[in-house]
Amino acid sequence: MPSPFGLLLSPNPPSRRTGALVALVAVGLSTLIVYPLKHVAPVGSLSVVYLPAVLVVSISWGMWLGYATAVLSALAFNFFHLPPTGELTIRASSNWVALIAFLVVAALASSLAEVTRARTRDADERRREADLAAEMARLLLRGDDLAEALPTAAARLAHTLELSSAAIEMDAVEADERSVAFPLREGTTRLGTLLVGAGTSEANLRRLQERVVPALESLLSAALERESLLGGVVETAALRRADTVKTALLRAVSHDLRSPLTAISAAGEAVGSPSISQAERQEMAIVIQEETQRLSRLVDNLLDLSRLEAGAAAPRRHPTSIEELIGVALGELSSGPEDFSLSIDPDLPLVNVDAVQMERAFVNVLENARRHSGGHPVSVRARAVRSLAGSPRPAGDRVIVRIVDRGPGIPPAQLERVFEPFYRAGTPGGEHRGSGLGLAIARGFAEANDGSLYVESLPGQGATFVFELPLEAAGAEAGADESTGLAGASRAVRGAAT
Amino acid sequence: VIAQPLPEPTQQPPRVLVVDDEPQIVRALKVVLREAGFQAVAAETANEALDLAAVRPPEAAIIDLVLPDLDGIELTRRLREWSEMPILVLSAVGEEEQKVRALEAGADDYITKPFGTRELVARLHAALRRSARAEEEPSIVVDGLEVDLASRMVRRAGEPVHLTPIEFDLLRALVRNRGRLMTHRKLLTEVWGPEYVEDIQPLRTHIARLRAKIQPEGAAGPRYIVTDPGVGYRFAG
Repeated sequence: MPSPFGLLLSPNPPSRRTGALVALVAVGLSTLIVYPLKHVAPVGSLSVVYLPAVLVVSISWGMWLGYATAVLSALAFNFFHLPPTGELTIRASSNWVALIAFLVVAALASSLAEVTRARTRDADERRREADLAAEMARLLLRGDDLAEALPTAAARLAHTLELSSAAIEMDAVEADERSVAFPLREGTTRLGTLLVGAGTSEANLRRLQERVVPALESLLSAALERESLLGGVVETAALRRADTVKTALLRAVSHDLRSPLTAISAAGEAVGSPSISQAERQEMAIVIQEETQRLSRLVDNLLDLSRLEAGAAAPRRHPTSIEELIGVALGELSSGPEDFSLSIDPDLPLVNVDAVQMERAFVNVLENARRHSGGHPVSVRARAVRSLAGSPRPAGDRVIVRIVDRGPGIPPAQLERVFEPFYRAGTPGGEHRGSGLGLAIARGFAEANDGSLYVESLPGQGATFVFELPLEAAGAEAGADESTGLAGASRAVRGAAT
Repeated sequence: VIAQPLPEPTQQPPRVLVVDDEPQIVRALKVVLREAGFQAVAAETANEALDLAAVRPPEAAIIDLVLPDLDGIELTRRLREWSEMPILVLSAVGEEEQKVRALEAGADDYITKPFGTRELVARLHAALRRSARAEEEPSIVVDGLEVDLASRMVRRAGEPVHLTPIEFDLLRALVRNRGRLMTHRKLLTEVWGPEYVEDIQPLRTHIARLRAKIQPEGAAGPRYIVTDPGVGYRFAG
């Protein structure tokens, strides 16, 4: 507030003692100013010179100090200027009139100043309360978490009303010796409690009760309603997602289980037909074998996924050889020698993983790579990485396995989506379309074993799936690993399912 | 099950277009269809199928609903634009809606995966018989049931059966399309008119009365008119 009146009307004036000092100085100054003026104006009219002093004091320090200043001014005027000067007597009746008129005007001015002052203070309070309400509304109605917003809102309240402390609780809290409690209600429902420090002044308590608490009650009730609505929205969205996953699962089961079944049943029938040639019989046998494998892999995948989603995939981790893991995985894929080209250092350190889970993860990723590699061999490379000493967040010593296919690659927008259950990249005319589950499961298992799985790709240049797996632990954390791995697994799948 | 006389040995076996992107299924179907007296022509995509059919129209088509390019419904619609060949769609449970849409797009029948190949061959024969009956037949005799379309007379085992006009129209629609699965909508449109396509409940009532009248004595379960739940009715005979 730059204007001098603003300064005068400041709600926090300097102390009363300063006021008295200002009054003395102002009366003294006014007395001095009157001396030169006596030569140009009749002395009886010069009492007005004291009025500014009275006004300044009464505006800033209130009516009573104003009255005192007026009386002091009258005494000084009488003593120094009204003849006979030097004593508190008055000879001319006109001077009596002047002095009384001055006192009346000064007293009136003081009273008016007091009213203005009170009004200003009131307006200021209201403005601050309005600001406070707006601020509280922003804090309580905008935020995502009401419980988090409450301390901030309470601090803002304490700051604005100059309270020693304030807290908003969502429960019915009893006041203790250090606090005063205001119950917050909506109708008859208890919403919570406003607690303020016990030292709060009577005026502030009244103000809280009359003006702050009702506003806070309606805000809190609106905030609670909003939160419950938001909760409903979140819940609905979660349910809908779960529903989408279930629908996708049904479709996968419906189509992906039935296709191999159809092939097997038709091939079985064909084998029985009298006209079948030896070559065809051989072919039908292969159809039955391959489709049975495919079916059993799909069933495995569905089981794995449901275990991961239920958080029931606690890894049993043991020191395991990567070379062996990949070897077993390739065996299960019944891969031809030209399908994969391996480059694995036989001296790689052991990794600390659940061998069964990681084998399933490798089978899924290798199968995916072979499917998309367009007949080119898939390269599998493994090497150990030592974490750098002194790096801020050491990833730990680990083995990195890179599975590089020479397929069409993955557009950047789909790099994460390929790990979602039931997501299938477009593979038109693909010999075997996958179930859309393999990569989600592989990532779930990798993360359950404190490892990770991600993909790097440039469209048109193939894709590289990268496993990072922890080395055999120093032994100390073997117990803790199981629980964190389990949580990680279900988190990973749930995250992927969104 | 169906002792259908095969075509003359000197003739080329009827060609059946098999459209499925699962090569293993196609491989097996080729053998099965050859055994049943057909020659399977395989296509993995809808576009390949359209090309093959255009170059040398097959006698019938078996189409998987899930194809990599167009879906089976669209393929059916495109084939129907110029051909009356019998079309069977392969569907899976849970694809009820697509199944109905495929039938409305002009497919004759559907068969659910995994299917017995005998069932598939029987449906194929039935559909081929339907398409062979190009011209109007004045009367149809099926397994003891005689339907005289010209004089609107129905006899069961020689005994006249009295049908209401609606019941007769329903029976006629089913009989003339035997070998074809008639969806509710198709029947409603044909018998009541296009503005009644949603009135499935009255259709059910009339079918029930019609069944009761033409059912042979002591038959367990529907004899001539077979329900395909949620889809429609077919005339079995």
